[in-house]
Amino acid sequence: MRRLLPLLLTTGFRLAVWCLLTADLSRLNLLIGLVVALLLPRAHSRPLPLRALLRALGRSLLAVPQAYLEALRLIVGREPVEGEFSEATTDGTIPLLVFLDVFRITLTPFTIVLGLEDGGRRYRIHALTPHRAPAVGPLAGGPTP
Amino acid sequence: MTLAALADHASLLLLGAGLLFWFWGTWPLLESRSYLSKLHALSVADTLGSALMLLGLLLRIPGQWPLLVLALLALILWNTIFGYVLANCSLASRREPEP
Repeated sequence: MRRLLPLLLTTGFRLAVWCLLTADLSRLNLLIGLVVALLLPRAHSRPLPLRALLRALGRSLLAVPQAYLEALRLIVGREPVEGEFSEATTDGTIPLLVFLDVFRITLTPFTIVLGLEDGGRRYRIHALTPHRAPAVGPLAGGPTP
Repeated sequence: MTLAALADHASLLLLGAGLLFWFWGTWPLLESRSYLSKLHALSVADTLGSALMLLGLLLRIPGQWPLLVLALLALILWNTIFGYVLANCSLASRREPEP
């Protein structure tokens, strides 16, 4: 199952895009879409842990409402403080999980992934933190690793 | 109020909010701020504002939903990842001048 999952995922994703693009669910069109999805070249894939993938997908979806909340805070709030911190990757060896992590972090307006560091084990993240009490250190924005 | 009128008003609201996000996020590009803080603002405009507009359009022309959903997915994915690419480029240029 873990070995078959990448193939199923890419084919399913391509078929879904094909269906949206053509807006036609007739049997012939589905067959053409399936053939196209299978014929397009695929990247080398590693076995995917289903549980980690589902968790990453769920977190990415949750990031969308959070992004809107942060956008409102950014628009309404005062000038935020810039800072940088780093966060551990979920699993740096699986490209799809890294992609979902980068997507989740960069989607929210307060944080942007700058890149991977420490041999792909941590993300370097640039963050805005909303201005709080002035007593806090001026440039100590963002939680430290 | 009928459902159609309600959808019409909601779509106007979404389109307006998207436009607001766009202007709010694009304006900082003209100011002299740090490159990365401009990127933060741009993610509000590009990704979230455009997504609101597409949702508004979805309510306005529901017959075209497959293409609009495809556009929505593509916009959110591409804008976010492009933001990451730009941020990553800034990292490279920042490291060069250091001894």
